[in-house]
Amino acid sequence: MLRIPCPHCGARDEVEFIYRGDATVTRPGPDGDVGAFHDYLYLRRNPRGWQVEWWQHNGGCRTFLKVLRHTVTHEVRAVATATETLEVPGA
Amino acid sequence: MSAPEPVHPLAGVARGRHGAAGDAPLRVSFPARDIVQVMVRRGQDAALAAAMRTAFGIDAPGPGHTASGSGVTAIWIQPGQWLLTAPRTTEGALAVRAAEAFSTCAAVADQSHGRTTIAVSGASAREALSRGCRIDLHPRAFGPGRAASTPIAQIGCLVHQTDAAPSFELTVFSTLAEPFLHWLLEAGAPFGVEIA
Repeated sequence: MLRIPCPHCGARDEVEFIYRGDATVTRPGPDGDVGAFHDYLYLRRNPRGWQVEWWQHNGGCRTFLKVLRHTVTHEVRAVATATETLEVPGA
Repeated sequence: MSAPEPVHPLAGVARGRHGAAGDAPLRVSFPARDIVQVMVRRGQDAALAAAMRTAFGIDAPGPGHTASGSGVTAIWIQPGQWLLTAPRTTEGALAVRAAEAFSTCAAVADQSHGRTTIAVSGASAREALSRGCRIDLHPRAFGPGRAASTPIAQIGCLVHQTDAAPSFELTVFSTLAEPFLHWLLEAGAPFGVEIA
C-alpha cells in the first residue's frame, strides 16, 4: 500500500488514487509524423528505478499529480501538481 | 420555480433506534440542504474571493477547510472549487444567489438534488466513522471547520466536522445515500444508532 502525499489534501492511501502512466511522454505537435505519434502512443521506458508518473487523486481533490516513485522499492520521493516539473534523479 | 419539492432520498428509512442499546448512541439526522458547486474561471481567483466576501461574508477557505457566514457555509472541495451549503429554503434559491454573485468570475451548478447530507453526532461518532474512513479524525489532525473528501465504504464522501461534540456532516451522491446509510448503521451498531 502506497501513501501518497497529495499537495492539496495531505498524505492519503493509494486506493484514493488512479495510476495514469508515465508522466514524461509528450504529445507530438500537429506537424508530427505517424512515427512520432506511434512512439507517443505505444512506446514506454519501463525503467527499473525512479519514474515520474501521473496519479489522479480521484477519491479526494480529483487533480492530476506527478509522483516520483521508485519502481522496485515503491518509495515515493516527491509529488508535484500537473504544471510543475519533477526531475528524475540520476537519469 | 414552482416545481414540487423533491422526495428526500432517505425519506423511506425507518426512524428510531437501530443496533445495540446504550447510553451514548450515534445520533443521525438528514438535514435538508441547498448545495451549490462554485468553479472559478481561470485567473479570476481574486475576483471570486471578493465576490464571496461581498455576497456571503465569507473568506474563501483554503484546502481542507470550511468557512461560514450569514447562514451559508463554503467548503473547499478541490483547487478552485467550493461547495456552498445552506439550510434548504425554496428550489434553486441558493443557486440563484450564487449565480448573481459569481456571474463574471465562476461557473455555478446547483447540486441540491445530486447530493445528500447525513448529519452524525455523538461521543461515538469518531470511532464509528473510523471503521470506514481512512483519514485521521483525531482532534490533533482534524477538527471543527475542517473538511475532506475521501472514499468511505467505496463511496465518495465529503466529511465536514461542524463542532467538537463531535458532529459531522457527510455529503454523498444522492443515489448512493441509501447504501452509505446501510454502512453507517453497521458501523454504528455496537454503539446504537438513533435516527431522528
